[in-house]
Amino acid sequence: MKHGNRRYLRVLSATSLAGASLVTMVGASGASARSHASSPVKIGISLSLSGDFSADGQAFQQGYKLWAADINRAGGLLGHKVVLDIKSDASSPTQVVTNYQALISNDHVALTFGPFSSLLSLPAAKAVSRYGYALVEGAGGAPSVFQAGLHNVFDVSLPVADDLMPFAKWVTSLPAAKRPKTVAFVTSNDPFTEPQVTTIEPLLRKAHIKTVYNHVFPAEVTDYTSIADAVAASKPQAVVLGSVDVPTVSAFMQAFEQSGFSPKVFIATGGPDQGSTFIKSVGLKNANGMMVPNAWYGGSANPLSRVMVAQYVKKYGGTASQVSSDVAEAYSVGEVVAQAVKATGGFNNQKIIKYLHSGVTLQSVQGPVRFNGLGENTVPTAFTFQWQGAKFVQVNPVNDRNSVRVLYPKPAWGK
Amino acid sequence: MNSVALLSAAKDGILTGSVYALMATGLTLVFGVMDIINIAQGILVILGAYLSYALQLHWHIDLFVGLLITTPTMFIVGVVIERAFIGRLKGPEKTAMSILVTYAVSLLIEGGLNMIFSVNDVQLQASYVSKSFAIGQVHFGFIYVAGFILAAVLLGALYVMLYRTRFGMSVRASLADQASAALVGIDVRRVSTITFGIGVAVTAAGGMIYGATNSFNASSSYDLISRLLTIIVLGGMGSLGGAMVAGIAMVFIGDVVGVVWSPVWSTMAYFVVLILVLLWRPQGLFGRASARVA
Amino acid sequence: MRARNLWWLVALAAFGVFPLVVTNPTYTTIAVFSVIFMACASSWNMFSGYSGYIALGSAAFYGSGAYTMALLSIHLHMAPGAAMFWLVPLGGLVATVLAVPIGWIALRVRRHTFVVITIAIFFVFQLSAINFGFTGGTSGLNLPFITWGYQYYNVPFYYVGLGLVIFATALSALVRRSRFGMQLLAIRDDEDRALGLGVRTHAVKVTGFALSAFTVGAAGALYAMFVGQIYPQFVYDPMFDISIALMTFLGGLGTLTGPLLGGLVLEAGQQYLTIQFSNGSLYLILFGALFLLVIMFMPQGVVVYIRDRVTRRAERERAAVSANDAAAGDAPPPAGDPPAPAGVAHDVAVGGVA
Repeated sequence: MKHGNRRYLRVLSATSLAGASLVTMVGASGASARSHASSPVKIGISLSLSGDFSADGQAFQQGYKLWAADINRAGGLLGHKVVLDIKSDASSPTQVVTNYQALISNDHVALTFGPFSSLLSLPAAKAVSRYGYALVEGAGGAPSVFQAGLHNVFDVSLPVADDLMPFAKWVTSLPAAKRPKTVAFVTSNDPFTEPQVTTIEPLLRKAHIKTVYNHVFPAEVTDYTSIADAVAASKPQAVVLGSVDVPTVSAFMQAFEQSGFSPKVFIATGGPDQGSTFIKSVGLKNANGMMVPNAWYGGSANPLSRVMVAQYVKKYGGTASQVSSDVAEAYSVGEVVAQAVKATGGFNNQKIIKYLHSGVTLQSVQGPVRFNGLGENTVPTAFTFQWQGAKFVQVNPVNDRNSVRVLYPKPAWGK
Repeated sequence: MNSVALLSAAKDGILTGSVYALMATGLTLVFGVMDIINIAQGILVILGAYLSYALQLHWHIDLFVGLLITTPTMFIVGVVIERAFIGRLKGPEKTAMSILVTYAVSLLIEGGLNMIFSVNDVQLQASYVSKSFAIGQVHFGFIYVAGFILAAVLLGALYVMLYRTRFGMSVRASLADQASAALVGIDVRRVSTITFGIGVAVTAAGGMIYGATNSFNASSSYDLISRLLTIIVLGGMGSLGGAMVAGIAMVFIGDVVGVVWSPVWSTMAYFVVLILVLLWRPQGLFGRASARVA
Repeated sequence: MRARNLWWLVALAAFGVFPLVVTNPTYTTIAVFSVIFMACASSWNMFSGYSGYIALGSAAFYGSGAYTMALLSIHLHMAPGAAMFWLVPLGGLVATVLAVPIGWIALRVRRHTFVVITIAIFFVFQLSAINFGFTGGTSGLNLPFITWGYQYYNVPFYYVGLGLVIFATALSALVRRSRFGMQLLAIRDDEDRALGLGVRTHAVKVTGFALSAFTVGAAGALYAMFVGQIYPQFVYDPMFDISIALMTFLGGLGTLTGPLLGGLVLEAGQQYLTIQFSNGSLYLILFGALFLLVIMFMPQGVVVYIRDRVTRRAERERAAVSANDAAAGDAPPPAGDPPAPAGVAHDVAVGGVA
């Protein structure tokens, strides 16, 4: 098994090296000749290793560590061995502010990577910007991050508002006879979910899909069951759930099953993309047919991503479908910065910021990255993914050659 | 207005609320007898849930059968916490100190649980967890009904113990007045320890039902404890019946408002009711009038 | 009491020159958060420590101060900079105004119930901030970005925070010497008796509660300006109250120096330790264990513990001397006296009698 894996890897990296996309690795291996005499380069990161964001924080840590291990195996950054300096912020913005200052002024890190969540990214970016450092992050696509007008913040992931577009295109393109007649929108009160849901509501309406339920619920609701029961009582054929975490999705799924309600389509904006955590909470059988929008998944055909996933599975076990998208988001941060370092020939943050703003297109496991003046990634592709059996597969955009057929209608619960 | 939705919401409020009531009972009992506010009740519920999880994962013990093991275990955990820390608190600031001590205990447990089980959310699984039956168009989840029955049985047992046994008499005497109870020869110290043990033991059942109906990790305890605290204030601190009524009221009000109006206001509605009730009866629905200032 | 005044001066001077001596922004950042918490703990103690009514909803005032700063600086289109500091006292004022009706409702019950009612009221504030439109909801509010360089950025915030500490401490000292302060202490010792003696207890409590909200609100405003971005769950944070209560208890409830010491040690220590420990779970365990130790062994707080130690040693020495003089008879209180009841700070008990 191990041997097979290695060979698979070698073949993969050979093919991907041929691809023009492998800027990082080429750059890194080219530099490795000089690596002997150089000192390590420190990268500073604050992550929520305990508290509210700890689940995502830990997944991010895996992604960053995986990237560091990979780049060091390929000879480091410009020949310097990469050392990650990770401090825990216990999910507190106060600690984030202190942490980044300590990373820069005490630990003298050369570069900074972002924390998890927009809630912490913004205070972090403000503190870091006073030092003229770039803050490249993977999870902070909320509009507020970009509206702050900071020059030094870059988000390699997908801005949230357009996440559900491929899904909307697919649903509305179904032949009228097969198309769902009714839809329920139920979303948590959250800066990540509401924009996604409000974007597609008019599109579905135009395709004569009637909205039978449309409500926002508070983030810390006591009992999801009654909301789910109310959705079930309105008998929608499609359900669009604006969720940010596994517990929310799992509560709705359980309540739907108990009230004998199974929609033909069920898409949740966050949760089903959390790999094994999702499966552990809802059970593999119930996951069947669940959909989620995102920019990345474990089965991505992107050659960079395949290498990363293989490394991940080797290190942490499990299957490709079980790799959390957080890992890829963190990993992409490393890749983007590595390319900027390579292109600017050093660790000068001003040059890196200028380079990242220059409109250049970079490559990451999540696909291409190009920043606008606000630091948003303007070129990512949004996908829709679906659990089919034990596999997590890409289903939208329909015309993408890596998409498989949508499992439609969604099978009944437990089937 | 969809009447099925309204009936379902009422059903959800009563079933889910009863489990909150059960968890809050432990809190209110401990407060009533000992003047102790146990901030650790939230994390103890989660500990109870993780115990059920571990039994199921490693020894394939059914969730309900597992309660026969987890309930005595949680009782012992409670006795140990009481003996080690709570029992040492004395003086007029005992109540306030108890908040700090139990908070520190909850930090310890939270850190331990994070280390053992990691921070990834889990949920208790069983074939019957997602099954249900229907009466008319209203569906009843087995696990919720089981939670309701469990809460009713345990609360009933507590009631019998308090009002029909010698031990219960000592507890009630201590509830009314610790000093006088000690004077008539009641071992208040022992009564306190056992009461705290019982107060914690109910988290085994509460935690199991919570863990089967929610996915959770150690930090879920923060949401839990704040809700439990408001339940015992609404019901009247120290009142068992009050905890029951308030536990159900909390979820019921939220659920019904969510259907009739909008889920956005469900949590807020409960808090507004809470404040209105306290304006009218500062001691809570069933609290002793002595809780009130003039 | 000259010596004591001297110590206050030394401490003040040390705090005054701190950012001039220690220029590393990491430590000045920690210092800013520390003075913010010292001010809050001191102010919280002025009501909760003196009256015995433990409030765990002060985050409602902290958050309201923060939102006052954010909303006004945004809607008045203020230029990012020092002018925003004027909104700090305004944040305090808003908190005070809000505290009057809240105190009026919450203070109608005895202290055990009061604790929990304050928590409930706090949640109403947090939920309002999340659900109403003008607060920006869960997206929070983004304040005008102040572009001072990192070398100096922390310093003005530090001094304004220090000003709040001095204000809160001075207010605490004044209150304690005043008739009003005596009434608060009388309520703490025996509320029914105080009522019987003609103290208008409800009015006194509400006044104390509202007064103590001022500094907390101002500190919240300062925090918002310092961090530059606020979210409802971070400024209306239930942990805020647990923190300041812990600080005060750790230092010594009802004492003047206790909350200051507790705030300094705890906030600075916590921030520093979190930087050192990257393992979050281990950190929680160590933190919890440390707390338990301090609470169990010094239940009256560090300040009272040390003071008792010092007095007791003095007494023992005196006892040894007098034992030589007179064999028996009017023996001084033995060193093994039952310790003062937990949490009753010595100087307040004395002050209450005086």
